Amino acid sequence: MATTETDVAIVGAGAAGSVFAALLAEAGKRVQILETGPARELDDLYSSQIWARKLKWAEPHVPEINPQDSLSFNFNAGRGVGGAAVHHYGVWPRFHENDFKERSEFGKGLDWPLEYADLRPWYDRVQKEVGVAGDAEQEIWRPPGDPYPLPPVPRFAQGEMLAAGFEKAGLNVAPVPVAILTRPYNGRPACIWDGWCDAGCPTGALANPLVVYLARARKAGATIQADSHVTRVLSNPKGDRVTGVEYFDAQGERHELHAKLVVLTAFTIENVRILLNSAAGKKDQALANSSGRVGAYLMSHAGVIHSGLFDDDTQNHLGISGGQIINQDHFDKTGGDGAFGSRQWIGGLALKPNDLLGIAMSRVDIIGPELEPFMQNAAKKLAQIVAITEDQPVEQNRVELADDKDAYGYRLARIRYKTSPDGMGLWQQAATEGLEIMKAAGATEAWHGPKVSQHIMGGTVMGDDPERSVANSYGQAHDVGNLFLGGGGLFPTSSAVNSTFTIHAVAMRSADYVVKNWSALTD
Amino acid sequence: MPVSDRRSFLRGAGLGLLGFTVAGARVWLTPREARAADAELQTLKPDEAVSLETIGEAFAPGATEAGIAWFVDQQLGVAPNDSLLMARYFNVPPPYTDFYRASLDAINALSQARHDQVFAELDRDAATGLMREMLAGDPEGWQGPPALLVYLVLRNDAVDVVYGTPEGIESLGVPLMAHIEPPSKW
Repeated sequence: MATTETDVAIVGAGAAGSVFAALLAEAGKRVQILETGPARELDDLYSSQIWARKLKWAEPHVPEINPQDSLSFNFNAGRGVGGAAVHHYGVWPRFHENDFKERSEFGKGLDWPLEYADLRPWYDRVQKEVGVAGDAEQEIWRPPGDPYPLPPVPRFAQGEMLAAGFEKAGLNVAPVPVAILTRPYNGRPACIWDGWCDAGCPTGALANPLVVYLARARKAGATIQADSHVTRVLSNPKGDRVTGVEYFDAQGERHELHAKLVVLTAFTIENVRILLNSAAGKKDQALANSSGRVGAYLMSHAGVIHSGLFDDDTQNHLGISGGQIINQDHFDKTGGDGAFGSRQWIGGLALKPNDLLGIAMSRVDIIGPELEPFMQNAAKKLAQIVAITEDQPVEQNRVELADDKDAYGYRLARIRYKTSPDGMGLWQQAATEGLEIMKAAGATEAWHGPKVSQHIMGGTVMGDDPERSVANSYGQAHDVGNLFLGGGGLFPTSSAVNSTFTIHAVAMRSADYVVKNWSALTD
Repeated sequence: MPVSDRRSFLRGAGLGLLGFTVAGARVWLTPREARAADAELQTLKPDEAVSLETIGEAFAPGATEAGIAWFVDQQLGVAPNDSLLMARYFNVPPPYTDFYRASLDAINALSQARHDQVFAELDRDAATGLMREMLAGDPEGWQGPPALLVYLVLRNDAVDVVYGTPEGIESLGVPLMAHIEPPSKW
C-alpha cells in the first residue's frame, strides 16, 4: 500500500469537482483529484455517436430494481476526466425562485437551505467565467440575473418552424441559454453548429471541464489522477472527521491519499455508494448518515421527445444537440392535481441518424425495407422538441447497496426508483401538448416517444435539518465538518431545467466557503 | 498493416480501425473489410454470426455487408468501459457476450416454435412478424432477456453499422462535419 498526503482530495473530475479544484488550487491549496475513469483530452473526442459511448458509464454495473422505470444511468453519467460534463449538451437555464421553497410555499417536496437570491451571485459569476449565450429579455420567465455575456444561438430552419408552432399554440419562446460560445471568448473559439455535442466538443466551444475549470485547476497546480477508483472515505474513530480516501489504481494496487479536507463529486450514484461503504464511528452506520438519508430522494426529469415530419427541409443537422429555442411558460407550479411542478420545452435539436436520441430511434417500429426511405426523408425533414418535467423528492426512491461486490470487495450500488406521480402527471400533460405544438408548426405527421430519463439528482440532499438531510447549503456534511459534497445529488428539488449550470453555481459557492473558512474547517 | 508493437497498435486505434485476425496475421480493418476478408471471429460462433447478420439485415438492410457480426464480435472482446455497443446504454449487465448469446438463442427458439426453422431460414414476412412480436413484449414461450430489450439493442447495432458511420451519414445526404474524423468507417 502506498500513502500520499495533500490538502484537498477531490473524488471525481466532472463539473462540480473541477470547480472545487480550480478555486481551491488558485487559493494556494494542494489539490489532488482522483478520477475512476481514464484521462481524456480534447483529441479523444471523435465526431461519432458510436465512439461517444466510451465517454459514458458501464462498470461497475448499477442494477435497477424497476428497470421499466430506468434512470438511464449509464447514458446520463460520465466516466473519465471531465465526467458527464464532457458529453453534456450545454443547456444552461437557471433554477427558478419557486424551486427553492416548495415545502414552505406549496406543501410539496423539500425546501432548499438557501434561496435563489443566495445563489444568484454565483450563477452570474459562473456565466461570465464560462461564457453563456442567450437573450435574457426574451426569457420572460428568467429569474433575476445579469444579462448573458454572449449573444444567443442562431436559429436554423427547424428552430424557425418550431418557434412558429409554439407561438401559434399560445406559448412563448426564447433562444435556449447555452454554455456554448456564439463568438470567440476567453481564448476559446465559437461553435460551428455541427451538432456533435454528445460526442464531446473538441474545439472548446462548449464549456466542458477540460477547457474551463479543469484547465484552470491544472494551471494552478492541481493534480488530476485518472484510473484511480475511490472505494471509501477514511475517518477518525468517531466518524466526525475525515482523514482521506482509499483508492485502487489501474493495476489494482491499494492506496491511501490522506487529506485535510475531502470533496466527493463522483456523480449522484457513486457519491452515495462511497459514503455507504465508508464506516462511521457507530456500529452499522455509514459515514455522514446519522439522518439515514444518504441515498434517499433520488430524482430524475421524466422527458418526452416529440418528432414531426415537415414538407420543407428542417436543416436538422445544423445547430447543437441541446436545441435552439426554449419555453418555460409552465413554471408557476399550477399543473393541477396529480401534476404538481414545472415543465420546460426545448425545440430544434440537432440530430444524428443513429444512437439513443438519433433519428432511427424516434421510430423503433420501422424496420426492414421501410427503414431506408424513412431515414432518407427524416434526415432532411424531421424536427424535434423535448419536454423536461419536474420530479418530486420521494424518500423511498434511493440508491442503496446491492449484495454483489466490486473487484475490490466493496458492495455495488443499485437503484430503487419509480417516477413520482406528479412527475408522471406532468409528463402526460407534456405528451399531449407536444402534439398540439407540432400540429401548429405544420407537421404533416407527429408522434412522441416513451418516457426517458434526463439528469439524475438527489441522494445526498442538502437541508437545514441534520435529521432529514445529509449536508448544509455549502454541501458540507452535517456529521463531518471537513467533508464536502458536490453535484446534483445535493439538490432537494429537481425543478424542470437542465442541472449543470446549477451544479456549477452551487459548487462555486461551496468552494468559496471552503477557501474563506479553511483554517476553521481543517483545524 | 501487420501489428507488431505498441506504436502500431496506437496508430491503428487512433485511426479507429479494429483489430482482426486474417490467415493468422493480426491486421487493422473496418468491420466491413473484416467480413470481406473472412477475418476470424473471436467470440461469436459461425452460426451465431449468421444469426446476427440475418437479424441485423431484417432490421436494417445493408447491415450484413456493413459487418454487423464482425463489429459486435470485436466489441465483445473489449472491456465494457471501452465498449462501443449500444447495450451499455440499455444497462445490460456485463459481460455483454452473455446477453448476445442468450438473445440469439431466444430468437432462434422463437423462430423454431413458430415456423420450425431457425431465423436465418425465414422469409422476410415471417422474420418481420417475429420482430413485431418482440416489439410488443415477451412473446408466449419466450426464453431470454426481455424481448423488447433484445429488439432495441440488435436494431441499434444494425442502425449503427448502416447509418452511424461517416459513409452511412453521408448516404443520407447529410454532411458529416466532423471535427475529428472518427475511426475510419466507424
